[in-house]
Amino acid sequence: MEKIKTTVVGSYPVDIEILNHVKGYFNQKVVTWDKYIESAVKDMIDSGLDIVSDGQTRDPFVNIFTRKLKGCRLRDRTEIIGKIEYSGPITIDDQKYVKKIIPKNKKLIGLLTGPYTLTNSCVDLFYKDEKEIAFDFATALKQEAKLLEKYVDIISIDEPFFSMGIPEYGKELISIITKDISCPTRLHVCGDISNVVADILEMPVEILSHEFKASPKIFDSFEQYNIKKNICLGSVRSDKLFVEPVEDIIDHIRKGIEIFGDKITQLAPDCGQRMLPRAVAFEKLKNLVKAGEIIYG
Amino acid sequence: MFSFTKEQKVFDISGIKIGGQPGVFPTVLIGGLFFKGEPDFNSAEEQIKNMLNLSKKLANPSITDFFIRKEEFIENILDFIVKKYPKNHPISIDIIEPDLKIKTLEILDEKKLLSRTIYNSIHVGITPEEQDALKNHTPNAAIIVAFNPKDKSPDGKIEILQNGANLIDTGLLELTNKIGIRNVLIDTAAMAPGDYSGAAIASIPVIKEEFGFPTGCAIHNVVEKSKWLDDFKSARKPVDASSNANIPLFGGDFAIFGPIHNSDIVFPIITWQDILISEYVENYFGVLPDDFHPRRKLI
Repeated sequence: MEKIKTTVVGSYPVDIEILNHVKGYFNQKVVTWDKYIESAVKDMIDSGLDIVSDGQTRDPFVNIFTRKLKGCRLRDRTEIIGKIEYSGPITIDDQKYVKKIIPKNKKLIGLLTGPYTLTNSCVDLFYKDEKEIAFDFATALKQEAKLLEKYVDIISIDEPFFSMGIPEYGKELISIITKDISCPTRLHVCGDISNVVADILEMPVEILSHEFKASPKIFDSFEQYNIKKNICLGSVRSDKLFVEPVEDIIDHIRKGIEIFGDKITQLAPDCGQRMLPRAVAFEKLKNLVKAGEIIYG
Repeated sequence: MFSFTKEQKVFDISGIKIGGQPGVFPTVLIGGLFFKGEPDFNSAEEQIKNMLNLSKKLANPSITDFFIRKEEFIENILDFIVKKYPKNHPISIDIIEPDLKIKTLEILDEKKLLSRTIYNSIHVGITPEEQDALKNHTPNAAIIVAFNPKDKSPDGKIEILQNGANLIDTGLLELTNKIGIRNVLIDTAAMAPGDYSGAAIASIPVIKEEFGFPTGCAIHNVVEKSKWLDDFKSARKPVDASSNANIPLFGGDFAIFGPIHNSDIVFPIITWQDILISEYVENYFGVLPDDFHPRRKLI
């Protein structure tokens, strides 16, 4: 069996030394964010993952993008106050930095928060038309994707809001981003996706990533389809402090193999690990890697 | 020129009014002492006297910002305030290290100075121990520094005030309110040149319109760090002093103008600016200056 890749969905916990930044401010010295990215990446590498991310250390996954897109302003929730447009690289500098610090045998995943999720996470004070917002977000994200493809080995689009229903234009939104992108693309939809599996299987991406550990019933939903896409199997929970033993993860992967066979190409946590204590997140990744090695060699 | 739609708070801090719509109250000028070396109390006494005289002549209120860098300076500086600083006049206590802040709060309380203390400052690096100390020894007022390490734009500064930018559990305004400090001054956090330094000025009207609190900054810090000015030595001081004129021009309420020995040049600049603004806002918005505004006194 071909060795599958262990990876992450996106975020990783980080301890920000706030006082250090404040002292930098009082002394008028710029304190960079590099050490936080480095600590997240180091954990991912030390755990043995094949594909690492930048850890999304700067912000929650919505704010990372809305902070830098024209037309958005951050308040308690992001407010849309003008036409959404790309105004320059969002995650590129961090990805370039990660590329520089990881060993050559490790791969890098670029992360985009999906246009539908961004749309539903913001308060609209400008458009009054959800579809128009989503398409403008998609167009802006496409520009980020075109830059990302130069530096990363795969691009993942995170669309948790699809689990609550995919709009009739959902496929078109994703295709705006993935069309003509030279690296493989992945769509991550966490939550219970039982009701939207048929639509998800039609999405214009190479890999589908889901929360199989927290929602094992979605195995059954996939079972009725002839799966042609590759699968990233969520195999440890991102919402529980309990560290799953290796044997438990092995059982879970075997269940996945029963449904998906050799379509499983990636193993990952169920979702971003940002909310977990760092030590727990690290142990989960280590056990995930060990389980993958035992099954796939 | 600005007139804000949001109701503007005005605080009376130990006799000095601060805040409100542009053109009503004069800009409060905060001059600093003891930034470096051993505190020189003889010189400090002279400098304070000079600043207070300028306040009297020009009608711009002044407050001394006492910088405390070491534990061994706390007692001496606070004793100096008790003995030599005008009774009941507000003081700003400016400390960076959290442990030193906690210790100083205790002694401010012992010396019965808290009722006229402006605590400089509350920021995103506040520790739980510092919060407890502030609850036990609550000063009259606090300066909140709207520094957001993630985002130095005006929106980033609003974010840190409103929700803590996911760096702390609540926004700095709510946190300060929970501590029990009601008189809040917002410092828009001037950054180094090239690092969004202009956002400190641009943020003043944005923050006043959003929250209505008295707002200002230490924009002179940007001048201090502008290395290219080294080639224009004679201009450095005028540029430093005049940078403060941006604050009232953008609707701000106070200027933390740096070393107190710059008072002679800073005060006339700001007085002139306040008069100009007052004339304009009265003509355009019908906003009248307070009875003690420089325009009433000098024109």
